[in-house]
Amino acid sequence: MATATYPPPPPYYKLYKDYLQDPKSAPEPPPPIEGTYICYGGNYTTDDILPSLEDQGVRQLYPKGPNIDYKKELRSLNRELQLHILELADILVERPSQYARRVEDISLIFKNLHHLLNSLRPHQARATLIHILELQIQRRKQAVEDIKRRREEAQRLLKESIGTLEDTGASFVLK
Amino acid sequence: MDIISQLQEQVNTIASLAFNTFGTLQRDSPPVRLSPNYPEPPANPTEDAENFAEHAKLVSAALVKAAKQFDALVAALPLAEGGEEAQLKRIAELQAENDAVGQELQRQLEAAEKELKEVRELFSQAADNCLNLKKPD
Repeated sequence: MATATYPPPPPYYKLYKDYLQDPKSAPEPPPPIEGTYICYGGNYTTDDILPSLEDQGVRQLYPKGPNIDYKKELRSLNRELQLHILELADILVERPSQYARRVEDISLIFKNLHHLLNSLRPHQARATLIHILELQIQRRKQAVEDIKRRREEAQRLLKESIGTLEDTGASFVLK
Repeated sequence: MDIISQLQEQVNTIASLAFNTFGTLQRDSPPVRLSPNYPEPPANPTEDAENFAEHAKLVSAALVKAAKQFDALVAALPLAEGGEEAQLKRIAELQAENDAVGQELQRQLEAAEKELKEVRELFSQAADNCLNLKKPD
């Protein structure tokens, strides 16, 4: 049974020969990549944004615009979906060979549904951030109150103890 | 599971119910007479036909139920009015408030630690005096 050896390390290691003596003689690490890059034959982008439906070549069924009423659009897409399923059932009874168009429509509706739901995620992220900040502010205020209370308590105890000491001190001196 | 993931799961459930419905109905449907030239299809035992109709009703009811559940989930979406700008504004406000409260907390903490240090020193002095005043007899 023949086994292959591991591939050799990349030849850059020679550049780091004097690293222990002079750390600056070795090359700097490569800077982080910006924009799009190719990895194993696939294109990736460093900008993590949900690509719009047109970019994926899918027709967008719900209206575009700055503020989308998600609930209304989701509900109307749901109704469209049910209607299309019913249409498909009818077509299979009447003209079974023309199912392809209907199936395409149904898959288009599903793609739109999922894209709508995905575009809700940034909103959810911001709402989570707001919630976390509110909780943190509440905890900090609570901590401030606690510290104030404890400091006042400590001051009170000290004054009491001064009073007690003076009394006992006075009695000690008199004795 | 958060509401958006539930919605996504529900969409996938509706999809799988739809193709299961069509798949089983097509596979199990009794043969039908297409043209008057050919004789009637062989009569099938009636129980099969009954079960088939029942099955059709059940799966379609399940599909409609799933769609209704999707609507219910959509109604439960806590979509606060704001567009993106309103949310970002609120985040900026909260950050400013957080910073202010954080600085107040820091001040209180430093004052409290200072007082703690003073009390410790006084206590150690008092303890030393106590020990020194005790004359061994």
